[in-house]
Amino acid sequence: MIDFIVYLLTIVGIYGLITLSLNFQYGQTGLVNFGQVAFFMVGAYFSSIATAILGWSVGVGFVLAILAGGVLGALMALPIGDLRQDYWAIATLAAAELIRMIFLNTNLGSEYVGASYGISGIPAPFQGYFSTQAYGYFYLALVAVCVVGAYVLVTWLGRSPYGRLLKGIRESDEVARALGKDVRNARIWSLVIGGAIAAAGGSLYAHFVGFIDPRFFMPLETFLIWAMVIMGGPGNNLGALVGTLVIEVIYNSTRFIHVPAEYSATVAALRMVLIGILIILVILYLPRGLVPERRRRYPRPSRLSSPPTGEPHAS
Amino acid sequence: MLLEVDRVSRHFGGLIALNNVSLTAEEGQITGLIGPNGSGKTTLVNIISGFLRPTSGRITFAGQSIEGREPYRIARLGLCRTFQITLNPQRMTVMENMLLGAKQQLGESVLMAALKPRSVAAEERHNLERAWHLLEMVRLHNHANELAGGLSGGQKKLLALVQVLMAKPRLILLDEPVAGVNPRLIDDIVEVIKTLRNNGETFLIIEHNMAVIRELCDTLCVLDMGQVLAEGPVDAVLAREDVLRAYIAAGGQLDPDTEIATVMAADSQEHA
Repeated sequence: MIDFIVYLLTIVGIYGLITLSLNFQYGQTGLVNFGQVAFFMVGAYFSSIATAILGWSVGVGFVLAILAGGVLGALMALPIGDLRQDYWAIATLAAAELIRMIFLNTNLGSEYVGASYGISGIPAPFQGYFSTQAYGYFYLALVAVCVVGAYVLVTWLGRSPYGRLLKGIRESDEVARALGKDVRNARIWSLVIGGAIAAAGGSLYAHFVGFIDPRFFMPLETFLIWAMVIMGGPGNNLGALVGTLVIEVIYNSTRFIHVPAEYSATVAALRMVLIGILIILVILYLPRGLVPERRRRYPRPSRLSSPPTGEPHAS
Repeated sequence: MLLEVDRVSRHFGGLIALNNVSLTAEEGQITGLIGPNGSGKTTLVNIISGFLRPTSGRITFAGQSIEGREPYRIARLGLCRTFQITLNPQRMTVMENMLLGAKQQLGESVLMAALKPRSVAAEERHNLERAWHLLEMVRLHNHANELAGGLSGGQKKLLALVQVLMAKPRLILLDEPVAGVNPRLIDDIVEVIKTLRNNGETFLIIEHNMAVIRELCDTLCVLDMGQVLAEGPVDAVLAREDVLRAYIAAGGQLDPDTEIATVMAADSQEHA
């Protein structure tokens, strides 16, 4: 049981990176990215190719994955940076499928590597130093460090003037433009940062499971990640993590329901029904999510200095 | 001349929304822009602020040609606008709205926010102080930490106005600053605009409320069916019979004794 909990928390952490990333893009910037899984996939593939095929170290693979995610974010945002949010949904969905198709049809190195065969033998970092059980704890700690790092990064960015600009764009890109903001540039950066964080999650995932294959990265994954963000509370980073925990617990819970083998497929499908019902309930009764977005309060200075020259003043 | 609109036209397919419209706004003055519904006022504002491209014509602002430039570049030159329907960020607080208004902040760049945290913090302190002063001026300071979406219609208009001021514009384009605002707040908004004008701000104002137009504007431009019908000092323009007729035709009522202000006030009531 404890092994299962460690496994579950590791998965929650990995998906947590991907929801923190989507929350930054959607909750903070208002970008409807229906291709979030692409960052996850690119991170997993770059890391796997670097380590399992090219034989480089896991650290190099991890950094490469992050860079690839950032570059992909820029590439996805460049052509659609000025478009309205509804266009983003379809464009990003298409981009993600396109990337999956590329990996599905590309052999990597030899005939039975890559494409629909996937990549196996992805090394686990520092495995030699631990027993199997201790390694589970180690990997959980590794994931936890990454989640904390990403959490600090997106929270700090969210509170910076850049984060405020993103929020302004989320609410009304016209007003942002009318105030002299380069909306396109801000959106591109949002996707670069979001892409890098999600790709880090993809890299950790690949090294955790040891085998990847294009079927892991279907559009359904994107919608699970959306379910996590919507359930947790868009615009709240803690909410993103809470939403991830709730959805992953439901997703993994059915393995404890013992049914005759012929019904097991039905039970697996029921998970999605349960998640769907929960999402509807959250939207109806907690539209701002389990952990709603918080507003930042500015204390009024007790004494205002004299107004700047030329500035009109209260009569 | 701070702003010069020179023979601007805009066609939407076969529809001519603006036909050779010329207009000027002088530094330190308030220029009014009126006209019946559908006369092309908002189209003109959208063209001046860069949200629409003109089909033909030239626009010069502070000596630079701006037609067809991107809205944010025009705003950075100091020509800032508000919107007819308040589009202000609803799920941001009043103070966040204000801080968003400050122009070209260092901290809005990811790299600068990371590399120059001290300069960014200093800039933030400065903007915060300015924002408190401006909020006090329009008596919104007690709402600073409330969501902008929770303000009344009139307070939203005031917020949009002071938010634009955060950007230190050279010309402020106000699209119906008092539409749908209760009479007491209208007086407040008029007072604020007057104070700002006396401090040297320049305005171009679209408004249906004739009392406000008379009170505020130095010069007036009347648009009708996409063309300039009249331009000049407020009283002279409003005394013209063709201006009156344009409004009556749009309003569908004809009474020779009706003063134009009454007609237009009724018109603005319909919008409220």
